[in-house]
Amino acid sequence: MEFKDYYKILGVQRSATDDEIKKAYRKGARKYHPDVSKAADAHERMAEINEAHQVLSDPERRAAYDSLGSAPPGAGAHEFRPPPNWDAGFEFSDADAGAADAGYSDFFEQLFGRAARGQGRARGGFDGFAEAPAGPQRGADHHAKIELDLLDAYHGAQRAIRLRSAHLDAQGRIVNDEHELHVSIPKGVREGQHIRLAGRGSPGHAGGAAGDLLLEVLFRPDPRWRAEGRDVHQRLALAPWEAMLGGSVQVSTPGGEAQVNVPAGSSPGRKLRLKGRGIPGSGTQPAGDLYLDIDVVLPAADGDAARAAYGQMAKAFPNFNARSGRAGV
Amino acid sequence: MQQGELLEGQCFSLEELAQSCGVAPRWVQERVEAGVLRVDTASGDWRFDSVCVVRARRLLQLETTFDADPQLAALTADLIEELMALRRRLAALEAG
Repeated sequence: MEFKDYYKILGVQRSATDDEIKKAYRKGARKYHPDVSKAADAHERMAEINEAHQVLSDPERRAAYDSLGSAPPGAGAHEFRPPPNWDAGFEFSDADAGAADAGYSDFFEQLFGRAARGQGRARGGFDGFAEAPAGPQRGADHHAKIELDLLDAYHGAQRAIRLRSAHLDAQGRIVNDEHELHVSIPKGVREGQHIRLAGRGSPGHAGGAAGDLLLEVLFRPDPRWRAEGRDVHQRLALAPWEAMLGGSVQVSTPGGEAQVNVPAGSSPGRKLRLKGRGIPGSGTQPAGDLYLDIDVVLPAADGDAARAAYGQMAKAFPNFNARSGRAGV
Repeated sequence: MQQGELLEGQCFSLEELAQSCGVAPRWVQERVEAGVLRVDTASGDWRFDSVCVVRARRLLQLETTFDADPQLAALTADLIEELMALRRRLAALEAG
């Protein structure tokens, strides 16, 4: 497995104080915040920073990690193996049995697997975090994001999701499992909504039920349309005569082909609403609407006939000033 | 093939939201009272929609990472949410 230099990841010396580690962690957390950073690898960097902080901010884990030294000289970064019983004499803040949170490296899982699961328990020391009750305890929910196409919301979809979970081996070490889960996505889903997969979270304890997997829905960006709630917006390109004279035009919408009546005098920026043609309703929630944002496309003046036609227009609108506030009036 | 359940409307109780975020109900209660988490009280009970899970987890992450005051974390979460919405609109405009 690859040796992780947690000090290098946080950009601190091995002699760094707790305060320096905390400051370096916050600096990295701001820089690579997954919701804000534009870095392509922000998620991975944030996971590394979190992991480094998990180890270096905990005196027991840091002492154990320091005892490893660094990657053996001459050995490739991917060939690191901890010495047998490397952690003898160190006592980590252990936690309840169950699957580890996803997102830790193999290096971390191998060294601190049991302690990794202590993340939730460690929060117990922080005012406001859940304390584990005695007796049966429901497993923790897992949270993930799933990217869908807008069309999936119209028709429903089936997706395969790769999930990472873990179990304890005979020595109490975490062993990672990866498996694929096939999920049926119901139609009518909108962005930001959650899909619950019951029982796919952490196992329960002492007879408690397993937690759930909650998938937050995101729509893959699509140049053809965008969703706001259940309403969908789509650009409708019109020729100048279609926009000004009105008429019936055929439009490819997410729900299929539609014949749309364009009112005469439709100027760019105007919206046409097709009621109920947005994302389909689900449960008690009604379907959204489809908004067609009108855009007028000018034909190129690339021939004698076209240039003559534009010349005719110029003559027909002698008072038209495109730069006045009331263009066209 | 497992059928996903679409979470509609105010689908979480106080306890369920807290459990899903790994916090004590009191943590959620304090943030509702501080006005940084939105609650629906129409039924007489506190109910939360599933979007609240994302916001609560974001607040929690900001508070713990930066030892942030809940109002400061909420301000940051507001800005993050607006940034994400504006980025989506910009992407749509650029694509159009």
